[in-house]
Amino acid sequence: MTWNADRTLRRESSEPERRLGDDEGPSKPDIGRPDGPNELLRRMKRIDPDQAKKYRQRSGE
Amino acid sequence: MPRVLAGIETEYGLAVEGRGPEDQVEDATAVVKASPREAFTGWDTRFESPRSDLRGFRLDRLAFDPEDARYDTGRARGPEAEVRADRVLTNGARFYNDHGHPEYATPECWSLHELVLHDLAGELVVREAALAFERASGRRVTVLKNNSDGHGASYGTHESYLAPRGLGFERLYRAVMPLLIARTVLCGAGKVGSETGDPCPLQMSQRADFFAEPANAETLYRRPVFNTRDEPHADPGEWIRLHVIAGDANMDPGCTRRKVALVKLALLLESVGQSPVWRVADPPRAARSVSRDLSGNGRIDLEGGSWTEPRPVLESYLDAFERAFPAGEPDTDELLGTVEECRRLLEDLVSSPTAFARQVDWAAKRAMIEGFLEEEGGDWRDPRLKAFDLAYHDLDPDNGLYWALLEAGAVAPRPADEEIQARVEGVFERSRAWARSLAVRGQKSGLKGVSWGTLTLEEGGRETTVPLAPDREYPDSLAHAAEPGEFLRLLRDTK
Repeated sequence: MTWNADRTLRRESSEPERRLGDDEGPSKPDIGRPDGPNELLRRMKRIDPDQAKKYRQRSGE
Repeated sequence: MPRVLAGIETEYGLAVEGRGPEDQVEDATAVVKASPREAFTGWDTRFESPRSDLRGFRLDRLAFDPEDARYDTGRARGPEAEVRADRVLTNGARFYNDHGHPEYATPECWSLHELVLHDLAGELVVREAALAFERASGRRVTVLKNNSDGHGASYGTHESYLAPRGLGFERLYRAVMPLLIARTVLCGAGKVGSETGDPCPLQMSQRADFFAEPANAETLYRRPVFNTRDEPHADPGEWIRLHVIAGDANMDPGCTRRKVALVKLALLLESVGQSPVWRVADPPRAARSVSRDLSGNGRIDLEGGSWTEPRPVLESYLDAFERAFPAGEPDTDELLGTVEECRRLLEDLVSSPTAFARQVDWAAKRAMIEGFLEEEGGDWRDPRLKAFDLAYHDLDPDNGLYWALLEAGAVAPRPADEEIQARVEGVFERSRAWARSLAVRGQKSGLKGVSWGTLTLEEGGRETTVPLAPDREYPDSLAHAAEPGEFLRLLRDTK
């Protein structure tokens, strides 16, 4: 199997990729990828505050 | 210096959209089965003995979490082998469903470098399977490399170390226990809040809340600091597999390397009779005390009424190792490199918290949350912080908080993708894991069974099981064996 870490770890985008110069105008920056220190804060702010309440697991070993 | 073969098995947290813990066994099975990896599915359980105890007896049964038993009421599941869905991968790893968690058990490694890479390869294998399941089911899947749901359910990251049978329970217990407690300072994954005992804002360990006894063979309930399961996966007359269940799953590869290196130090020192002598009076209590004191000065009560702290314990092992094992051999040098790193971190803990936080999960998590509170206001009672804790361990690089820290350079860099990718595919030491890997890749037609310590192959209509000695270097000629008969002969001839 050919390995591609990016493809393995990341979800495929449901939107087709567009490039600068396409008819519909420039593409948006890929905000799903980390792009600097503010990316951390952005991720933290969008986390569902109830996520920890909902997360329930079976006991393992 | 003798080499210590070691492996890491991680049960991953699994959250599937619209599903709960009552569905988790089925979901974990489905995730494992969704893996697109080439694999052999005939895991051989004949040689397993989870109820055997190092102290010389066998338990009638292992305890089960009563909460989990409630989830199973009225549920009929298929045959155990079908539910476990065992896969042996081309890199010699085992990937399966363990009690509702996708578990990745690395191939056994001699070097720390290799083991860390294989642990990281496991993240990719599990995430890949989860995404395949997500596409097939239409349900969003989150995989967490952590050890607790924050509500009292814990799942393990276990380490295995091959040790000579002659060391026995008493010596292993005395040699390793102090480090299992003290090493948390240098490799704990960190947890917001507590799940037993007094509340606390943050602690160093994911697991310390769950230790109920100093030593026993349990793993699901009333867990011990020192696990006494006697299941060597090798000749039981010659070997013990020290099964460590007290550690955390680490996102930071340096923490993974450190936690394994420190136990190796203890084993090697004991093998030459030079372990430091610390008699911990109440190990579960000491583990909680160390975990909750973020200064690194948690109290460890000793037998006889005195007490100590993690730093003197750690330094005693680092000092003893440097005295007992001079530099010069690759395995020694690798461990000495970690000794030096541990010394530097113990200094950083006091004098350079930012440098410390860059290299230790619990401190990185703490710095991340403190940064958020500084920016946004609030305090440690904020319910969002527990969600941040979970998100730190999310394997999704587009959502997980660890990955944002990594990208920002706030935590130590990981090995190159190419190095990790290569371990997803294969094994780079001539260990028995390499022989297992070759069997899965090259002997498919004759391969009938795989366990950690054996391979079963068919030759001329007859099945033969051969032991895989854990301390041997396997010959290059194995890679060129044309058929199962030749492969078997080469395995038998491996001295």
